[in-house]
Amino acid sequence: MGAPETTNYMIAGYAVFVVIFSIFIASLAMRWNRLKKDQQTLQELEKENE
Amino acid sequence: MTEKNSGIQAVGRYLKAMFAIAWKDLAAELRSRELLSAMLVFALLVILIFNFSLKLDAKTRTAATSGILWVTFTFAGTLGLNRSMAVEKDRGCLDGLLLAPVDRSSIYFGKVLSNLVFMFIVEAIVLPVYSILYNVNLFNPWLLLVIFLGSVGYIAIGTLLAAMAVQTRTRDVMLPILLFPVVIPVVIAAVEASSGFLQGLALSEVSYWINILFVYDLIFIAIAFMVFDYVVEE
Amino acid sequence: MNKKPTVLLILDIVSIILLGVAAYLALSYAPMEATMGNVQRVFYFHVANAWVGLLGFLAAGVAGIAYLRTGKQKWDIIEVAAVEISLVFFLIAIVLGSIWARPIWNTWWTWEPRLTTAAITELIYLAYFMLRGGIEDPNRRARFSAVYTLVGSVSVPITFMAIRLFRTIHPVVIGTASAQAQGGFNMSSDMKVAFFFSLFSFTVIFIDLFWHRIRLGNLQAKVEELKLNVME
Repeated sequence: MGAPETTNYMIAGYAVFVVIFSIFIASLAMRWNRLKKDQQTLQELEKENE
Repeated sequence: MTEKNSGIQAVGRYLKAMFAIAWKDLAAELRSRELLSAMLVFALLVILIFNFSLKLDAKTRTAATSGILWVTFTFAGTLGLNRSMAVEKDRGCLDGLLLAPVDRSSIYFGKVLSNLVFMFIVEAIVLPVYSILYNVNLFNPWLLLVIFLGSVGYIAIGTLLAAMAVQTRTRDVMLPILLFPVVIPVVIAAVEASSGFLQGLALSEVSYWINILFVYDLIFIAIAFMVFDYVVEE
Repeated sequence: MNKKPTVLLILDIVSIILLGVAAYLALSYAPMEATMGNVQRVFYFHVANAWVGLLGFLAAGVAGIAYLRTGKQKWDIIEVAAVEISLVFFLIAIVLGSIWARPIWNTWWTWEPRLTTAAITELIYLAYFMLRGGIEDPNRRARFSAVYTLVGSVSVPITFMAIRLFRTIHPVVIGTASAQAQGGFNMSSDMKVAFFFSLFSFTVIFIDLFWHRIRLGNLQAKVEELKLNVME
């Protein structure tokens, strides 16, 4: 009496983890880059204003 | 001696402010009856829609009664909360109230009082109507206790959240979004307890739910009391 | 403040390594469970991710109270970071729970108290972000967020207890197995290793991501301030 064959579900589960986790990390990275760029632009504008 | 007197005086002023605020709303509503008629019509319509959307035979209907009642109260309650707070904001009453030399939580309790009265009035009309339409006996003192406790919990947290919601961009939509996930324990407990009493269960069997309602009411009245200042300061 | 601190860099590397090892333990080292097959391995990450969600939830509650008491912006930044992380990880935990349930009980959803409470918490988080989105003034936004966080933090445990009581009275028979069989399997010692290592790894991962998200919040605050300065 073998165990039920549920490996596909296991793969699905870990795939979901990888996908959502990666999207979150990517979102953090993209937001960071965008803010960094904004910071640079604003700092230049500030210099011009002086 | 004077210390004790001033303490009592302070409490007196607090209560006076609270009742003044509640009475302001109630008196205004007595004259215009806008809020109540809106809530009532809405509640009756909800019950009507339930009648047509859920095809229930007599037996199932009795089982579904408490659920239908509480859905109705929840939605009608939201209407009341929204309008009650919107009126404050629009007419600038809130600013005036904030200038008064009383603890701001008296504003909160005053609003809770008037909101509760409105909700009770709606419930007092919906119950007999439902009883008649569906031939279910709802004149059960324990049921009334549940409705009281559930309404208090709902209005306690609802008034606080409505005060916040009315200051956001998407006013009317914001309140249900904020309120419903947080008021779920009240709904679960109220429906279960109502159901239990309607089925004729003894108090001992339903007491867990009454306890949850009680605890929820106390906790959230306390929290709202402590936190209301932060919600209305400029 | 712009250069990533060395400690954080080390934490990043450690986190990645721990994640890898945890995955290995869960997918290979731990023995296959006899009654459920390989899908049971999802359990190690399901619980660990729910644990991270819970850590975020608690952190948010603390930050909310701290903001109300001190009025310092940093607590607002910490609170948002905590809520966001909790949102993401509860989401993972819920989906993993659903995937685990499907082959075992032939249903995509089970109204199990923990899962249901997690779902309700997600709704509270979404409401939280909608609330923030609807307020312009940063001060008011922070205050209202803190109030709602406090309300949510208290309401969720009560919700959990209510649902648990509800389920005790109305047990749901799922498929052919009864609700008693939920998650009912005995863990061998190898499984315990994988389980606790996952919990440990994800705690470290939580700290790492939390730190990163707070840094992001700080940068955001700086940019907002620059914008105000430049606009004048």
